[in-house]
Amino acid sequence: MTPTTLAAGAAAAAASSPPEVPLGTTLVFAGLLVGLVLCLAFEEKIHAKKSLIAGVFAVVSLFLGDALGLLPVGDVVNIWGQHLHLPVWLQGVDWPVIGIILGSSLFVDVTSGSGLFTWIAVKLTKASGGDPYKLLWSYGVMTVVFSAVLNNVTAMIIVGSLTAVSLDKLDRRDKLLGFLLTEGLLTNVGGLLTLISSVPNIIVGTTAGISFMRFFYVAAPFVVVATVVTILIAAKQFGIRRLGDDAEKAAARALVEGFDENEGLTSKAFFTFSAVMTLTFIVCIAGASALPVLSDLGMAFVACAFAVIMLVRYKSEVDRFYRAVDWDLLGFFVGLFIVINVMEHAQVLALIGAGLQHVLALGDLLGSGVLLVASAGFSSVTDNIPLAAMLAKILGGLGTPGDSPFWWSVIFGANLGGNITPIGSASTLVAVTIIHKNKLPMTFAGFVKVAVPYALVQLALATVYVLVFLR
Amino acid sequence: MTRIDQFESVFRAASKPRYAPGDVRLDRILVVTDLDGEAGRRYTARIMAFLGGVAGIDSAEWTELHGEAETVGALLEAVQNHRPDLVCTYRNLHSGSFRWPYTLGDHAAVLTQVTDAPVLLLPRPDDDALDEALKNTDRVMAITDHLAGDARLVDHALAFTRPGGTLTLAHVEDDGVFERYLDVIGKIPEIDTDTARELIAARLLKEPRDYVDSIRSALTDAGVTVTDEVIMGHQLSAYRALVDKQGIDLLVLNTKDDDQLAMHGLAYPLAVELRRVPMLML
Repeated sequence: MTPTTLAAGAAAAAASSPPEVPLGTTLVFAGLLVGLVLCLAFEEKIHAKKSLIAGVFAVVSLFLGDALGLLPVGDVVNIWGQHLHLPVWLQGVDWPVIGIILGSSLFVDVTSGSGLFTWIAVKLTKASGGDPYKLLWSYGVMTVVFSAVLNNVTAMIIVGSLTAVSLDKLDRRDKLLGFLLTEGLLTNVGGLLTLISSVPNIIVGTTAGISFMRFFYVAAPFVVVATVVTILIAAKQFGIRRLGDDAEKAAARALVEGFDENEGLTSKAFFTFSAVMTLTFIVCIAGASALPVLSDLGMAFVACAFAVIMLVRYKSEVDRFYRAVDWDLLGFFVGLFIVINVMEHAQVLALIGAGLQHVLALGDLLGSGVLLVASAGFSSVTDNIPLAAMLAKILGGLGTPGDSPFWWSVIFGANLGGNITPIGSASTLVAVTIIHKNKLPMTFAGFVKVAVPYALVQLALATVYVLVFLR
Repeated sequence: MTRIDQFESVFRAASKPRYAPGDVRLDRILVVTDLDGEAGRRYTARIMAFLGGVAGIDSAEWTELHGEAETVGALLEAVQNHRPDLVCTYRNLHSGSFRWPYTLGDHAAVLTQVTDAPVLLLPRPDDDALDEALKNTDRVMAITDHLAGDARLVDHALAFTRPGGTLTLAHVEDDGVFERYLDVIGKIPEIDTDTARELIAARLLKEPRDYVDSIRSALTDAGVTVTDEVIMGHQLSAYRALVDKQGIDLLVLNTKDDDQLAMHGLAYPLAVELRRVPMLML
């Protein structure tokens, strides 16, 4: 929560107490929340984009909330006592989260234009010598690292498209399905590595006050183990083995040597600049909570500032990068935060929180496990972002300490749940899109059949990890 | 999912064929003429002199068929029996139609399509350009409209270039086809025509140029100079202009097309029209 909204809350509390909300009213708003979640789960069926769904529910919730006198309408006061006119519907939006996502997306998009990530991807391909087994490890690790540093959708797009091209070149199209599924499943593992690797991490992590470095220290051991286990199972299941004789190895090496890592480079200077900026970006994001000035301005400032610096390279054509921003996603977040804010005032979150307290009352051991599995189950059928946003708000409202395992249960569950179904996360959806683009057969049920064992192993590892090491 | 396509495009572009030199064996050479014995042997001697300096020529086993194999069937049978690595002959064999220079004649046309062996198509013995044409193979030009990845064409062109000579790799993109597609693109609102023109043209020429670069780096110690002519133009006139401009001694081109029985696209008109330049037809 920002100083402004804190002050606003304090000012509102000083002016008047929140109104008593009748249970019937709370249930009506709870119905709206259920409606939102159902619409998001069936967005493909109703042919509506997330931003529009969330926008419609935000409009209805705000209108009803204000009509019933549930919203703290009025100016907000900052820490210097200055009154600011900030409409009530904007106060509920978690702008730092929006800033991180917008800034990071722009930064990654512009940096991609330098050819940096494709250069790394091609270099790793060549380093594998075209051996399918080494390639699986290279692409698996690359998926995890790219998911962590960029975002899981971009990681899947880069690694997935390279996989299709390189296996085609190596005449190994029979292994393409296995590679793409493994990479899809690893995006959500890699999405756990840092605080900014996925949206649930950003939302839950910032609410819990988990610093970038602490997040990394806690998540990294699990990510390493889950990655290794996933790749080993995939290699066995899809029959991806080392090349046998020297002739095969030489032929494969000759083929991958045909890749030119410099093909995508627009300019050497911009390439070097992008590499330096990417490293600096990671350092600044990692140190945002400790570095002077940055600790005041936060990670959203860091992300947006780096995006602006990178955009200077394309100063006369920045609009093409603006067009590439996922405005549907950002609009969805704004709408979602507004809805959740109204739900808070309508005591819906308190109601859910009361139910959740029964789970938390099971104790750190059982409570964490149940919360993790439930979060995963919910995330597998609908977007994990509303879940993360709602649970973060509820756990925060219940005064859950920052070092509680419950936060990690939500983070692990929300991320790994995306591996159970193809609609569980945007990156697995991208994996399925690439699979279909390459004319490989893969139905919804087919994906679930293949993915569930992996998801169960990963969830089991996560549960053990949270219960044993984070309790 | 335009971003998937964007990255796939980058990786497809990064996946380039690289030239690796291959062996061209010239152990058995078959000379086929419709001359009588003595004239035929003189013609063979001129071919030997023309190819002097080409690796393996001196130690090759030469077989001559002068005035024999009058029918196409007999010629093919002879080729099958001898299994040559190279067949040397000329246009309008066993035919008087050489006076009307519009065809190659049955023998040469069928020979290039049926046998695996390259056919060295030379000017006829009675052609007044013979002396000029059969000097040496100092300047050899490989021509194609799809150079990238065509190692066999390059291998043969290289094998027939005398040490110290010049190997020119010519790739002409047909501007007629290009303009036809651009004309269609110009009628599609979703595609920016100027951008398409610029990017497609650049990409069409970049691929053969990249391949030429890999050939150059592979042939640094080969003892020949490698030059290139990668351009857009009207193919027939462009190749003719290049041959004239560079005074080419030997033209190397593909004649087979997996999709058809007839000779590959431009090979036939080139073989018919460029009658004064020796051609190695693969």
